[in-house]
Amino acid sequence: MQIRSELVEFLTSGVSLLVGTRDVRLVPACLRAMGVAIAADRTGLTVFVPKATGARTLANLRDNGRIAVTFSRVIDLKGVQIKGKCIGMRDATEAEHALQARYLDAFCGALEEIGMPRPISARFAFWPSVAVEVRAESLFEQTPGPSAGRALEGGA
Amino acid sequence: MTLRLADLPRCFQGITPAVVGTCSKDGEPNVTYASHVYFIDEGHVALSRQFFNKTAKNVSENPFVCVQLYDSLTLEGYELDLRFNHSETSGPLFDTMAVRIQAIATHTGMLGVFKLLSADVYDVVSARMIDGFVVGPAPPATDPAGGRGEVRALQVITSRLNQARSLDELIATLLGALHEELGFAHAMLLLPDESGEKLFTIASSGYGESGVGSEVAVGQGLVGAVASERRILRVGRIGNDLRYGRAVRGEVKTAEGECALAPEIPLPGLPDAQSHLAIPLLVQGRLVGVLAVESRDIDAFADWHESFLGVIANQAAMAIETMSVDEDDARPSAAPLDVPEVAPKRVRKFRYYKGDDCVFVDGEYLVRNVPGRIFWRILEAHESEKRTEFTNRELRLDGSLGLPAIKDNLESRLILLRKRLEQKCPDLRLPQTGRGHFRLELDCAFELELRD
Repeated sequence: MQIRSELVEFLTSGVSLLVGTRDVRLVPACLRAMGVAIAADRTGLTVFVPKATGARTLANLRDNGRIAVTFSRVIDLKGVQIKGKCIGMRDATEAEHALQARYLDAFCGALEEIGMPRPISARFAFWPSVAVEVRAESLFEQTPGPSAGRALEGGA
Repeated sequence: MTLRLADLPRCFQGITPAVVGTCSKDGEPNVTYASHVYFIDEGHVALSRQFFNKTAKNVSENPFVCVQLYDSLTLEGYELDLRFNHSETSGPLFDTMAVRIQAIATHTGMLGVFKLLSADVYDVVSARMIDGFVVGPAPPATDPAGGRGEVRALQVITSRLNQARSLDELIATLLGALHEELGFAHAMLLLPDESGEKLFTIASSGYGESGVGSEVAVGQGLVGAVASERRILRVGRIGNDLRYGRAVRGEVKTAEGECALAPEIPLPGLPDAQSHLAIPLLVQGRLVGVLAVESRDIDAFADWHESFLGVIANQAAMAIETMSVDEDDARPSAAPLDVPEVAPKRVRKFRYYKGDDCVFVDGEYLVRNVPGRIFWRILEAHESEKRTEFTNRELRLDGSLGLPAIKDNLESRLILLRKRLEQKCPDLRLPQTGRGHFRLELDCAFELELRD
């Protein structure tokens, strides 16, 4: 699957990032990720998982690799979900640290618009983090409503 | 230390949206926001379900769910592992969760487009604080007393309500005491009209002159939902709920077109209110009014506010019920007034639009429906017979006013009429002269014009 080019700006604009995984018994886990980068060929993405909170998610990914990443814009809840497979994990680099800091700044700005003061939102821990590389397999509508969960021609 | 969910009230108010993770039977994870996680007890929580979406499908295949909750003040995160137990589609839990959903659906013009399908009850398998979720110092906690310091205020309010001798005085006392003793600066009291299909604002505080006489349809919007469901409704950071409603609206509009949707209803009261608390006033399950308070703070109202307001609402409901039934045959306590024969300085022009049931004063809307008809009858009686003394009994016996035979709300309609006159035409007054008696006082002359 290839992510539509016009989606890239939305996905990297400081929207809320949620990660879903599951263990070998199909028990789900969720996590708030802090920062994302879309692969140049748009067939995948790198999502940054804080080490402090990511142990369960990373263990699940090592076990089976299945991953869901939901992107949701806080001002109007417009959202999409990308499902795929984890194809690699590594410590995030210093350059990626800067990317994450910019992401958090944009995210805090969006939260500020809906009434969450920066002294609170800036408390999100994000560093050190693990860069989780994901191969995108499918894309779904995630804006609340009757169409949420519908497969989108997001790729192809 | 064991985590107690009861110690996390700010996580369950929906102020900061919770995250919910599920997994299909084929092992495909799904993650999204939960619109409402409701605390039942230490062993159970409920999630609202408005659509049969991926989360619902996954849970039907695989009962395990992971939820993350966030403290709206400190941003601390908490993780719950849940196992689906059962769905409820009626009963107290369902009704409590439904009122909030209905309020948002009707407010955003989507009654029937989305609603609570079920309250899904989950066993709490485990619960823990997410270590390392946040960094840096937490903002200072507010209200450490949790309202315990306000118990005396509650006692003062109930005593003050107890002293009120008339409905008018009771209403003024109620709103005044809420402000002075509990700090609720913006409050309004709405009573049902004769049809039972609408509520009208009989009094408000903190809104200047606006609001009195404004109407809300039962079942529509925040206050209307509280009236129809007879359930308390507390919403913090209302913008989150409205964003949800508008997001769904946008999706429906895309799929079905604008014509499928009703217009959005303006919020009552403050345009920038963030927190709302509305409570039905009930006597033996019958609605006698709705008390609504609001604030510009995002989480202004806590559990104890709800409890306190519940006590006050019960007392106010009983008092409104009692005082609405007046004593028609009581003698006036004040002697009839000698009307001075001096030429008044000003002439007010009243116009009654019979078709719309509306009275205007000098071209400006004054009052409508039953209070409008009462007012017009009084003005005509004065014009033709120079009468200044009136009784509730004669109004009740006048079939043209359209008062119902029982529970006629006459007293509350007169209060509304007096308040509208105070605001729009203060040189004409209708003070009570005893229970069931009132007088027309004029500092002006007037002309009447009847239109169809």
